[in-house]
Amino acid sequence: MTAFVLVAPGLAVIYLSRTMPRLEARRIHPATIPGLVPLFLGIGLTCCGGLLLWRSWRIEALGGWQNLFDLLKTREALRIGVVLGLALIHTLVLVGLIPFWAAAMLFIFAFIMIFETWLSEGPAEPLKSFCWALTIAVVGGGGIYLVFERIFLVRLP
Amino acid sequence: MLGVTIGILPGLTATMGVALLVTLTYKMAPDQAILTLMCVYLGAIYGGSRTAILLNILGTPANAAATLDGYPLAQQGKAGLAMGPATTSSTLGTMVGIFFLAIIAPLLSEAALKFGSYEFFWLALFGVVISGQMTGSDTPLKGYIAGILGLLVAMVGMETLHAHQRFTFGIAALGGGVDLIPAMVGAFGLAEILSAMKRKVIGHVVPVNDRVVPTLREIFQYWRTIIRSGIIGTFIGIIPGVGEDVGSRSSYAAAKRASKHPEEFGKGSQEGLIAAETGDNAVVSAAMIPTLTPALPGSAAAAVLIAAMLIHGIRPGPMLMVENAPFLYQIVAMLLLATIANLIFGLSLTKLFIKVLAVPRERLMAVIYILCVVGSFAITQRMFDVYVMLIFGVVGFLLREMKYPMAPLVLGIVLGDLLDLNLRRGLALTRGDPTPFFTRPISAVICLIIVATILMSIPPVAGRVKGLFGRKGAEQPSSL
Repeated sequence: MTAFVLVAPGLAVIYLSRTMPRLEARRIHPATIPGLVPLFLGIGLTCCGGLLLWRSWRIEALGGWQNLFDLLKTREALRIGVVLGLALIHTLVLVGLIPFWAAAMLFIFAFIMIFETWLSEGPAEPLKSFCWALTIAVVGGGGIYLVFERIFLVRLP
Repeated sequence: MLGVTIGILPGLTATMGVALLVTLTYKMAPDQAILTLMCVYLGAIYGGSRTAILLNILGTPANAAATLDGYPLAQQGKAGLAMGPATTSSTLGTMVGIFFLAIIAPLLSEAALKFGSYEFFWLALFGVVISGQMTGSDTPLKGYIAGILGLLVAMVGMETLHAHQRFTFGIAALGGGVDLIPAMVGAFGLAEILSAMKRKVIGHVVPVNDRVVPTLREIFQYWRTIIRSGIIGTFIGIIPGVGEDVGSRSSYAAAKRASKHPEEFGKGSQEGLIAAETGDNAVVSAAMIPTLTPALPGSAAAAVLIAAMLIHGIRPGPMLMVENAPFLYQIVAMLLLATIANLIFGLSLTKLFIKVLAVPRERLMAVIYILCVVGSFAITQRMFDVYVMLIFGVVGFLLREMKYPMAPLVLGIVLGDLLDLNLRRGLALTRGDPTPFFTRPISAVICLIIVATILMSIPPVAGRVKGLFGRKGAEQPSSL
């Protein structure tokens, strides 16, 4: 299946490279057109995808999509989904809506609480986790703001 | 110390540490900034050995070979005996690399001055091909694919020959192309966070009850192994984009072949641990040879260092010895200082570093993600770069899950422009005639090496070649 996923963008790159402007009006040599290298890369990607397809027919592929699909059925997928969800909420929603230090503190607090209580692999200790999450959120979020924006004068989002 | 701490913490790699800390160096003087980043790089590679020895978990991928003998030694109650020589051999390995850096880099820099577009095109291609060949875990084909994907990423944005915008699809922010730092922070930062949080790691830190500081006899009893591993590490470091893990594994394999007690390898051999640690640390300093001279990164972390140097107005490449010759020797001195600091901290702060291992991932990774956001945003102060980091993080995670190596991808992004520009510039100079790409002596040699490398990844060809040299059955060839 990876082979098809690779062949498709490979063919798309070949098409886009062939249709890319050749800048004839600027009288550049046809061997130096902007689409030259992308065209070769598109051909290379398509060939590699083809080889991968041929190889998967001959021998069972290690890793590959089977690993990925297996992963989707597990609790691990939920953990990954939660990390991504929190990351997206922080970056796409909170940053810009509230000050960065506040968004950072909220993210850190939520992250620690979720992974130490709901998604904890061992016995959860909500009160202890709450104290830690609050402390790390304040120290981490505030510390990053102070160190970057105040001490090293780096502008934050 | 920060570098060692990053290396000790499972899930934080040297590349990620260097990429995140570039942000903190903006306001520093160039030499101070590069010194900071070099120390983090070297410290992280060394620090990973602690995790390997005490927890049997990779602190960084470079320490894979160290787990094989380090952890069994710790289980036998010899954790100190493992950590001490691992520290001294790391220092000696770095020094071997530094020695070759000081000797080879000026010569290579002078040779690189004679390179034209033709040679630089082949060098860029060589970097991607050799990196793909050596880092593809189960097949070089996956390495090549990762390299092509990296090169394609580098094609996005305005090309440098005719100033034409490629693959921007009307998105203005893509006009400048994909910045390396957000891409690296995503591929090594967010992807690491996702991998680390995938499952809870249950590990038991082995207590350290014996002495850590080794005697001179313990340090030098395997001096042949140290020199051999240092040279192997240096050789691997010079090859663009291969990195510390290959250096460590190759040194370990060579030490096992040459050892009088190969049966002890994997069961707690001090010689094996010394070989692995010497090899990976030699790669760090040797990786600076291609990084500084033809500007081809010797490892993924070195690719970030190139970006950091450019941010600070230092242009690595053949002209470095002409424009800024003292910088090369500054790097040599920086590496020397960093490795001495590693030695002192490594032998004296054992208990402190063990405490770092006890930090739960849940508490650490949340803060790391915020650093990823800051690190991506700070360079150009655009939220677009944060989105690039997110995309590269997810794609990098998926590629890792499918066993695609990251190093060729990174090398592709770094070398894409060099490859594209020099191919078309070379063709422009000859009005479309590709002959000089194959007839100029250095070009022809690099071209032949590339062809041979690709052919050797095809099992029937590799089998026949090995048959010709009478090595049939000695080792299974890597297969497409």
